[in-house]
Amino acid sequence: MPDLLDRAAIRLDAVAADRDDAIRQCGHALEGVGAVDASYIDAMVERERSVPTYVGEGVAIPHGTLAGKDAVRHDAICVLRFPDGVDWDGHLVKLCVGIAAKGDGHVRLLSELAQILLDPDSARALRESANVDEVIRLLQPAAQEVPQ
Amino acid sequence: MSTRTVAIASRTGLHARPAALFVKAAADQDVPVRIRVGDGPAVPAASMLAVLSLGAGHGTEVTLEADGPGADAALDSLAALLARDLDAEEAADA
Repeated sequence: MPDLLDRAAIRLDAVAADRDDAIRQCGHALEGVGAVDASYIDAMVERERSVPTYVGEGVAIPHGTLAGKDAVRHDAICVLRFPDGVDWDGHLVKLCVGIAAKGDGHVRLLSELAQILLDPDSARALRESANVDEVIRLLQPAAQEVPQ
Repeated sequence: MSTRTVAIASRTGLHARPAALFVKAAADQDVPVRIRVGDGPAVPAASMLAVLSLGAGHGTEVTLEADGPGADAALDSLAALLARDLDAEEAADA
């Protein structure tokens, strides 16, 4: 099994016109590493309209609807940073962690991610690091594959 | 202190939509409510990150805690919310 976080799914200097654009870029990043079919991208936008995925600390975690799970080929996350920020229903988002997960994999993944973000130093480092390796290291607990 | 223990009914666990609905409902209560899994640390129920950090899946038993006037009513309402399959309600909406 590949790691959940592929280097190719990390972009530190993304620019988005608006929230939906940012979500679609996350979807394309997940599609680019073979984690989802293109239809998942619409499911991510749809999910956001139904339930915003802003979680605090300048971070949003866009992901698909339950119905979109059929479009997931394997569990994965992507990391897109928007240094200029994206207006997210009135919140300023600088970091998107896009999530593709089948079954219950996302619960553990979200838990690990939330624990990292609850540490203000880690959250700040994730928002500001100029280095892909550091981003991977910071997310390591979340990105490790657990034996199924 | 009042407490309620309830199993998460939503089929995908306490994240995404179920978590968003729960966190908003917790924030709307008159008293601060905390939530924990087992003997783990109790965290603010009105914080999305804190609630996500619990990693509560379908069937996980969580305990809600609150103090003061209105605590019992707040906990009854939040426990009832967690006992519903909020994902199924999404499917019904779609």
